[in-house]
Amino acid sequence: MKVTIELFGASRDFSNQDSIEINIENNSTIKDVRDKMLDYLNSNFKGNENFIKIVNSSVFCSKNNIISDNYKITNHEKIAIIPPIGGG
Amino acid sequence: MLHTRVVDIKDKKLSIIDAEKFISSSDFGASIFFSGTVRNQNNDKSVTGITYDSHDALVIKSFEEIYNEADQKLEIKDKAVFIEHAKGFLNLGEISIIIAVACKHRDEAYVLSRYIIEEIKKRSPIWKKEHYQNNETDWLKGNPIQYEKN
Repeated sequence: MKVTIELFGASRDFSNQDSIEINIENNSTIKDVRDKMLDYLNSNFKGNENFIKIVNSSVFCSKNNIISDNYKITNHEKIAIIPPIGGG
Repeated sequence: MLHTRVVDIKDKKLSIIDAEKFISSSDFGASIFFSGTVRNQNNDKSVTGITYDSHDALVIKSFEEIYNEADQKLEIKDKAVFIEHAKGFLNLGEISIIIAVACKHRDEAYVLSRYIIEEIKKRSPIWKKEHYQNNETDWLKGNPIQYEKN
């Protein structure tokens, strides 16, 4: 199934678009999405270490809630990656 | 009484006058206006501007949570709070955030204003990309958000 990941902050450098789309197995969790994103970075950015750090230190968000790595994703669900923050 | 907004800088600039209009009331004897502005130096680099990015819905949610927590944690019941944060590219000196609070007494106003900005720094999904004189840019390292229980 497909999942759309909206990009924010430093993760915007992962693509020229505002989001990326990845294919995952049914009943996948956020942990699986994180792993798929690392695969995506290895393929497209030769394993850029800074990008990998961003993914590993980010949380994810669905329907305006921060979700845990055990959260199960539904088909075509839109989630957002939330890298470490620092506004003000 | 709460006003929150993430302001796209292409639409308008943040305004202290807007904040004053919102919190102004004879119910309150103390008002504090905090504004954050774009500084020209950071980590020994000459900064020319900052691009702010925001997850708007989560930011507004965090502002509302912080406001509501002030009831329980700080026991400040009577208050007016105005919070606006900019997104988009800001030049040096431009305002990125306004927090205006009005309370009955000054002790409460100082505590509340400080509480809000420190919690926003910890919890609100906002990001800064600095622009430098050599035309390079860099997303600033921030603080990871903690998981919430679902």
